[in-house]
Amino acid sequence: MAKDSTKPITKKKINASYLKRYWQLYLLLLLPLVYFLVFRYAPMWYVLIAFKKYSIVQGILDMPWAKNHGFEYFIKAFSNKDFTNSLRNTVVLNLLDLVIGFPIPIIFALILNELRIKPFKKAVQTIAYMPHFLSWVIIYGLALQLFAPTNGLINMVITNLGGEKIHFLDDAVTWVKTYIGLGVWQSFGWNSIVYLAAIAGISPELYEAASVDGAGRFRKMWHITLPGIKPTIVVLLIMALGNIIGSGFDRPFALQNNLAMKYAEVISTFVYKNGIKGLQFSLTTAVGLFQSVVGVFFLLMSNWLARKLGERGIW
Amino acid sequence: MKKKVLSLALACAMVFSLVACGSDDGGSTPAASTETNNTVTSTEKTDAAPVESADFVDGKFTETRHITVEVYDRGNDGGSDPTNNMYTDYIKKGMLEDHNVEVEFVAVPRWTETDEINNLLAANSAPDICVTYSYPTIQTYAAMGGVLDLNPYLEQYKGELGNLYAWLGDTNIYWDQDINDGTLWAIEGKLANSRRILTFVRKDWLDKLGLAEPTTRDEFYNVICAFRDNADTLLGADADKMVPFSVSYDVGWRAALLIESQISPDITDKEFYVNGFDDRKFTENGTKEAIRILNKWYNEGLLWDDFALYSSGDTSEDDMIKAGYVGAFQHNWDYPFRNGEDSIQANLQRLVGPDAKFVAVDCFENAAGQTLKYVSSTAGDRKLFFPATNDEPLASLLYLDWLSNPEHLQYLQIGDEGVTHNVLDDGAIEIIAATGNAIQNSGQNIDMTIICNGLSLMDADLTVKSAAHNYANVDTADVEKAIKLAETNMKKAINVKVAVIEAEEGMGEALAAKRDIVYDNAVVCSVEDFDKVWDEGMADYLASGGQAIIDERTEKWDAVYSTENIR
Repeated sequence: MAKDSTKPITKKKINASYLKRYWQLYLLLLLPLVYFLVFRYAPMWYVLIAFKKYSIVQGILDMPWAKNHGFEYFIKAFSNKDFTNSLRNTVVLNLLDLVIGFPIPIIFALILNELRIKPFKKAVQTIAYMPHFLSWVIIYGLALQLFAPTNGLINMVITNLGGEKIHFLDDAVTWVKTYIGLGVWQSFGWNSIVYLAAIAGISPELYEAASVDGAGRFRKMWHITLPGIKPTIVVLLIMALGNIIGSGFDRPFALQNNLAMKYAEVISTFVYKNGIKGLQFSLTTAVGLFQSVVGVFFLLMSNWLARKLGERGIW
Repeated sequence: MKKKVLSLALACAMVFSLVACGSDDGGSTPAASTETNNTVTSTEKTDAAPVESADFVDGKFTETRHITVEVYDRGNDGGSDPTNNMYTDYIKKGMLEDHNVEVEFVAVPRWTETDEINNLLAANSAPDICVTYSYPTIQTYAAMGGVLDLNPYLEQYKGELGNLYAWLGDTNIYWDQDINDGTLWAIEGKLANSRRILTFVRKDWLDKLGLAEPTTRDEFYNVICAFRDNADTLLGADADKMVPFSVSYDVGWRAALLIESQISPDITDKEFYVNGFDDRKFTENGTKEAIRILNKWYNEGLLWDDFALYSSGDTSEDDMIKAGYVGAFQHNWDYPFRNGEDSIQANLQRLVGPDAKFVAVDCFENAAGQTLKYVSSTAGDRKLFFPATNDEPLASLLYLDWLSNPEHLQYLQIGDEGVTHNVLDDGAIEIIAATGNAIQNSGQNIDMTIICNGLSLMDADLTVKSAAHNYANVDTADVEKAIKLAETNMKKAINVKVAVIEAEEGMGEALAAKRDIVYDNAVVCSVEDFDKVWDEGMADYLASGGQAIIDERTEKWDAVYSTENIR
């Protein structure tokens, strides 16, 4: 009995003194916590809009339920050709981004790691980061200056040399290539930072040992660097897969135009045009909810797969 | 362990936030909260009249009221601040003196006005008096209860609104009234004249090539072909920048006269109305043939290759016109004359030479050989509405009444003598280029005079005399010619009074975007693909709600009118 009663007291004491010593840290933690509560969790309540007939003047509980047991807008979305079309485009564009855009930062980091002249390496790195800081609106402005069929610099050069115009932006298929290319150009430098950091964490002894054993550059890259950053690659891949039907808004929105719309309309721009501009809030909330649910599903699946394959995953 | 604690904390947080939000919305006792809401509104309604009259003596509030008013921001180079200039000061001062109402202006970008007003309405922060060209937007919000029904207020305060009724008349005030329940969501601002759109051609190029001004479509085609073929003569080193006929992504507007010329001259009012949801005449019979012509022209190198890449509000095309690379275009009847120092004509003369200018021509004839122009009646331009968040309906109506006072209207249009206008020998008012605060950001200052579009002075004869002098730095003969041509063969719109078309609700933006996609793609595709591109695009448009609108319009027309023509 005596033992039992003393134990919690000491534990409490420890907790109290612990809190007393570190309360500032907890106070600091409060700030992001409030941020998440206000901007990430509170709005979740409004997913209810997907199941209700939206009205601008009524509170969310007063809005009437949508037809078909609240699923009217989900049915509407999937029978809407524009939505299924933008779903397809989202998946295709993201897959292309993944297949082409995912390995490039890794390769870039590996190459950068092999550079021995410090100033040159730093200069290359900085130049590669720079596009990351440009907004997509500015990038589209640049793209127009360079790629427009008659007023674009590149096409001017091509036509002056007697070649055929390339319709970078105004042909739907070529637009996809431009879209992916600009995406890679904008982000590969920035995305390589994580890999460079991971490479820096690999013990130099491993390389020394490999050198002693007579391993060349490529052997070292293959057998030391790549396995060393494998966990990082896997985590980033899982996150990328979780985002496969999500999409940023500014990139497709800034780059799209009427002639490429067949492939350029993605879910986020569909939601903007029909929801915010077209005032179909319920429909687009339903689309957003669907997008999130599928995203979470992909995230869990790829995490599960990663663990199955012996990697750590993100949980 | 720590992870578990954290996730538990987050889970708690989520539950907490859900509960908190729920109570914010009155979720805990929904029945009670709606009840209180009801009592509040009903007391407001019954109390409204006596309270207002105690507060309101001789057309003046005893206590200063505050209203906000939307004003377009056109982002003009070197314009004045749209919310704070000589004219806003005049309005603010006058409203405070006459009605004891404080006016605050809220700028809304002109070229994305519908988006912007949507956002403001959805956020419950729209100005008390809103202006838009898009009636579907108003209708959509009205259906959600987001717009004030003006009818009861107009009935109640009619005695205070003499100027408004005198200026707009019942036609414009009750234009949009519902035939069934009498609700009135918006008042139509008045078009002082019905001039709409014209074709403009570079006069100096015609002269240089020894060509006459075109009077038929074939002649117009020959002219733009000549421009293309003589690019070296006309533009020298810049020959590759030549655009014989320029359209923007908004093909339906920028080729409107071509499109309208392909509509059958015998079209009935019913057919025109039934297909009339789209203000770019997308589903009218004949539009396809018009775009086929444009497609042919595009493939012959007569149009600007890049047009579809520049969206609404982009000035690239205007800059090309100003720089002198464009041979012809269609736009508002006074487009080349607008904006004083920054007008197309002024820029051309500065950048190209003293002879360089556009001249209006009238050359798109229909099957009957007439250059018909489908124009609005006095309504059909800008619509004024009060969002439900407006708690000063009387002060807001008084604002519109104040603007409708002919004296105020005239001052806002022509400003001060010596600053914004000169009085000519024959008494006509000549607008001069103003500077700084006195700059009018829009022609005739229409952004300020939301109840009026077009010059309207206190003296009607003077208005006619002054119309051609209404543009600074422009040859008046050019304006006179444009006025004459714009008023040739006008076909005025009629007010079709049928019940609300429910299928139109919320479709405006989505269908307009679709229409532009079809227009743009049909113009740039190859001649062989044209039918396929157009038919597929049209089928998609109709399946996405276009057909439902046509069907409902047909049905509701038949319910009200027994004949096909009601003129």
